[in-house]
Amino acid sequence: MDEKPPLQITLFNGLQHVGIIAINLIYPVVIFNMAGASVDTTVELLCVGLVVLGIGTFIQCARRSPVGSGFMCPSTFTATYFGASALAVKTGGLPLLFGMTVFAGILEGLMSRALSRLRAFLPAELSGLVVFIIGVSAGIAGVRTMYGTDAPPVHNDEWLVAGLTLGIMVALNVWGKGAPKMLCALIGLAIGYAVAALLGLFNAGHIASLAAAPWLALPTLMHASWSFDVTLAVTFGIASLAATMKATGTIAMCQRMNDADWTRPEPRSVARGVLGDGIITALAGMAGAFGTNSSTPSVGVSSATGIASRYVAYAVGAIFILLGFLPKVAALLAIMPRAVMAAGLLFSGCFIVVNGLQVMTSRLLDIRRTLTIGLAVIAGAAVDIFPAIAAGVPSALVPLVASSLAFATAIALVLNLLFRIGVKKTVALKVERDAVGTTHISDFLRAQGAQWGARAEIITRASFAANQLVETVADNGWGDGPLILEASFDEFNLDIRATYTGAPMRFPNTRPTEQEILESADGMSRLAGFMLRHNADRIRSESRGTSAHIWFHFEH
Amino acid sequence: MIFASQHLRFGHNPTASVKKITDYMELDTALLDTVAAVAVKGRVDSTTADKLRDHLTQLIGSGSARLVLDLKEVSYISSAGFRTLLITARSVEHAKGKLALCGIGGEVKRLFDIASFTELFTILPNRDDAVAAARA
Repeated sequence: MDEKPPLQITLFNGLQHVGIIAINLIYPVVIFNMAGASVDTTVELLCVGLVVLGIGTFIQCARRSPVGSGFMCPSTFTATYFGASALAVKTGGLPLLFGMTVFAGILEGLMSRALSRLRAFLPAELSGLVVFIIGVSAGIAGVRTMYGTDAPPVHNDEWLVAGLTLGIMVALNVWGKGAPKMLCALIGLAIGYAVAALLGLFNAGHIASLAAAPWLALPTLMHASWSFDVTLAVTFGIASLAATMKATGTIAMCQRMNDADWTRPEPRSVARGVLGDGIITALAGMAGAFGTNSSTPSVGVSSATGIASRYVAYAVGAIFILLGFLPKVAALLAIMPRAVMAAGLLFSGCFIVVNGLQVMTSRLLDIRRTLTIGLAVIAGAAVDIFPAIAAGVPSALVPLVASSLAFATAIALVLNLLFRIGVKKTVALKVERDAVGTTHISDFLRAQGAQWGARAEIITRASFAANQLVETVADNGWGDGPLILEASFDEFNLDIRATYTGAPMRFPNTRPTEQEILESADGMSRLAGFMLRHNADRIRSESRGTSAHIWFHFEH
Repeated sequence: MIFASQHLRFGHNPTASVKKITDYMELDTALLDTVAAVAVKGRVDSTTADKLRDHLTQLIGSGSARLVLDLKEVSYISSAGFRTLLITARSVEHAKGKLALCGIGGEVKRLFDIASFTELFTILPNRDDAVAAARA
């Protein structure tokens, strides 16, 4: 992180990250288009946005600052705000978009102070659901650019451009290697532009705007104005929450990359990073730009290349700011043909959809969670496919029902709370000796873990702990009567407690030698104790009268 | 509970037998020229480890001292299972043979790492590589 690579490598990596993030410039272009902004206005807004991304990258990587994680974690425009922003420009134009973006940024900043409470209230599958809906909305928006109710009829040449652009992005991503694979989206966009130009899909006005745009100019804040609509607070609130969750995950990734001994997220740098993220979004709204977030793909690239130096972040920030002073570049983006927009949105939507699915299924799912996710997804899709649903609800509920993201999230929250009825936080299992060698204990913990929505990996560790303990004490120390296994769960902790008549097990710090395992009477049980100690995050054992009590603690 | 195995002829061609040890463990043995490849399926714990050991000891005793253990379908391995692996390694060494493990991933790999057993064995990514290593 603090290493200073050679200048050439720093600049090359900086350009690479800018190239990866560039695909997300599509979101503000589409939104400004929806708002009916002229090409010149879009150019000026994009220039401001690029400067904001640059400043945001510097804020996020700042060392020893109360704001920002300190990691190489560049800022990007994000699909997270796409649906809410589309609703804002439709309802109140650009001032409402910018005003609500400021609101979302402030909200994210406030949420950074309460991250652990948020996690307890919002299970992982809900965060995954939100991301999934955002991805689907982005993809559908791509289709809507071609087939929306107000869109002009699609020309055959547009099909060719859209198909070619998307095809190249996909082909490079699937079969490409190295830089072409990493920059597949940008290369696809560039080829889409070139083919669109050859086929005459740029109109004369667009060409004139591109020609008239100066090479160098100061960014202007003249288009920044703000309004606020409380009916959109829920929609932007949910988007802000999704941005908060996403930033939390991205910064945790950065921590893991930079610390070989990393076991779980360090809360203070996460909180500072999320606060920084919120401030950058608020700044974007104030300056007249689109909502931002920390770039997860950039962190992924850093992980793949092994280069996560703060100096690369400085390079990324500087390049973005420089681009903000080059209106000709922004003009090229502003005149993006809708066929190229559609391809770009479809492509980027895919990754967001799958990311959401991965987060949703990172926890064990039982019937409660299956119904929560399923009904919420269907509800969100329904309001998008049948907008007449929103027309039939009381006016106060229209913003909730008109947005697939808001409606799906509301359904999921209600069902999540409702389905908590009957879920116990602590459960017990009576284990007899004939359970040794069966899957009885594992089946019990797995079923319970699914009810709790616990992470599969933690349940696996707990299962090993319970099984190995029972197996070992069955031959060493377990007296009469059953062994009672208790499991307790909250979003942060899983605790397993075993109680049996007999002597408690020992849990040595060092592993017995191979000779001791093979030849000494207690070698195998000492190996078991050693494995149990290193399997759990904390272990405690004590004797109370004739009973032994063993506790295993797992951080969740 | 041991069911009667489908015991087949030995020879230069690969032969196979499947032995169900308990409801929770099954052994699939294939003789590939000089190498005996045993795929272990299910649980290797205090109720099945001795039977696995006996099976492997029998193989070594009948001349198959070049052994491959495929643990891809092992769902659980405890300290008893690790002890059996150590015993097998020692027996193979005495018989001047070779032991290679393969199919170690996921939870089994995690347990190997916790038990600090990863460095004690020759571990290959797949069965073909393990057979080649056992033959060498």
